[in-house]
Amino acid sequence: MKKIDVLLLALLIIFSIISLFPIYWIVITALKVNSEIFTTPPVFFPTKITLSNFYTPGERFGEVAQTAFGSFPWMINSAVVAVLSSLIGTFFIGAPAAYALTRYLKNVWLARTVLFMMMIPEAALVIPFYVMIMRMNLINTWWGLILVYLSFIAPLSTWLLMGFFSEIPRSVEEAASIDGLSAYKIFFRISLPMAMPGIIVSIIVNFINAWNEFLYALVLTYTPFPTGSQTVPLFLTDFIVIEKTFAWGGLAAAGVIVMIPSIIIGLYAQKYLVKGWTMGAVKE
Amino acid sequence: MMSEVVIENVTKKFGSVVALDHINLTIRPGEFFVLLGPSGSGKTTLLRIIAGLEDVTEGSIYINGKKVNDVPPKDRDVAMVFQNYALYPHFTVYDNIALPLKVRGLSKDSIAQRVKEIAVRLHIEDLLNKKPRQLSGGQQQRVALARALVRNPSIFLLDEPLSNLDAKLRVEARTFLKGLQRDLGVTTIYVTHDQSEAMALATRIAVLNKGVLKQVGDPYELYSRPGDIFTAGFIGSPAMNMIPGKIVKANGSWRFVASDFTLELNNMNFSSEREAIMGIRPEHIIISDDGIGCTISTVEPMGSVTYITVNVGGTSLTVQYTGLAKLEPNATIKIKFAMDKILFYDKGTGKLITE
Repeated sequence: MKKIDVLLLALLIIFSIISLFPIYWIVITALKVNSEIFTTPPVFFPTKITLSNFYTPGERFGEVAQTAFGSFPWMINSAVVAVLSSLIGTFFIGAPAAYALTRYLKNVWLARTVLFMMMIPEAALVIPFYVMIMRMNLINTWWGLILVYLSFIAPLSTWLLMGFFSEIPRSVEEAASIDGLSAYKIFFRISLPMAMPGIIVSIIVNFINAWNEFLYALVLTYTPFPTGSQTVPLFLTDFIVIEKTFAWGGLAAAGVIVMIPSIIIGLYAQKYLVKGWTMGAVKE
Repeated sequence: MMSEVVIENVTKKFGSVVALDHINLTIRPGEFFVLLGPSGSGKTTLLRIIAGLEDVTEGSIYINGKKVNDVPPKDRDVAMVFQNYALYPHFTVYDNIALPLKVRGLSKDSIAQRVKEIAVRLHIEDLLNKKPRQLSGGQQQRVALARALVRNPSIFLLDEPLSNLDAKLRVEARTFLKGLQRDLGVTTIYVTHDQSEAMALATRIAVLNKGVLKQVGDPYELYSRPGDIFTAGFIGSPAMNMIPGKIVKANGSWRFVASDFTLELNNMNFSSEREAIMGIRPEHIIISDDGIGCTISTVEPMGSVTYITVNVGGTSLTVQYTGLAKLEPNATIKIKFAMDKILFYDKGTGKLITE
């Protein structure tokens, strides 16, 4: 191995440890007995393993609530909202917008506006969004959250897909136009399928972002399925304080449960993710 | 169907850059017409204008007498093969070839039959279920040809289709393409920067340089009487020898005075004395005992011929000798020009002035 390869490998190992350590930490915390959670110095290798944290009920408004395994009513809301908003944001907004911006409206400022939209902090928008969603009578509904999530999904999806569309050789589309396809058919039959790796990346990245989103969900929802649209990040808050003490064990156990879907999707999608991010990075 | 293409006074500007400058051309039905020029000559732009992929800034395009300036590519009944083949990577070879027919609403059976026919003709019938990325460059090129030819277009456009193939395959594909075009009889417009490809394929060639049409003619004409200095230098390999000098009249007869020799020009007539460039092809310089003395600088044996570079004073000339010449650098030989093959060009305008 060359010197640079060794260096690179070492850096990658360090980076992996930094990335993976929190996951390791939450998993062992979920499995630790209470006495080992709170010790100083911390215990990195628990001596006793327990599943009791998974059976510790959380607390809602001072009342005893569900255990970590009771996440289903929140999971279903998260799944519906994350799936629909990432699909709608990618297929109905991101892909057509990105295609138009790379093929027809080659306006740099328009493209940059898309980027600027991603820079606006959620905190600045949460109050106006609350008012809008309230007036639409969509508080505590799936569509209320989906509409608001599109505000960050659509720009990211557009920006990401612009890279993919600009890498499709013009000559392929020109060949299609000579072969007799109209502009719409070229988009649907040629360009969109050729950008499929990007479409998949956009769906997955946005799904994970929507799955993790906390602030809007906190403000716009207040009950779990079936009465409302509260999502899993809110489910976790039930475990922060139980019986007036910090309940790290229960919180960690609930955290482990809710990250499982993201991890499964992430593992499945990793080959697209690698290809997607590097490809999208080449061109503006 | 054989179609005629007329290009009338076509100008194309990209911003302030003039890509094509008042081009007039008629491409006859069934002809294999080659647009030849170096990169930046405007040849691909002209092809794209005929295809409908670019608009003209000025002028008109007619296909079979019908003005097509505002007709979109899909309605011009043209087919095109791109330099990078532009196959649809997510379709199989079969679907690539079938797409133009599907778009035109043919029945499934007749599509299958036509695809099969063209695939057999192009020897790709075993590849129909593969994806383009599984094919070699030569196979991809044939698929691109098949896709273009499957719907019997009235005009067949090719943009440097052989440039991505290796040298051996390129010569094979060239022969194949020429035979195919002759069999189909479809009007073909072919863009290349390779003069030997143009010579080998064309019924007629149009030479373009910097957006200006230099000359149109069959390969024989262009080779034997190039109309200007650019065409003379561009067509033929090795290139025509160019010797600067002056045409003067003395004692009632014309002569060419170069820096290192003087040539009596019997039987030639010029309108006036002037600065000129003498052009002579390597095969028209003969090694002869009664010629001009010169020194050999390099000898390149090619097998059937030998190229000998000689210096006449300060001028370097390439001589083509038929067969293998056993000559050494720095030796002295004498050369003579085949007087009836010499061409003279005006130094200022670059135009042919030999009558």
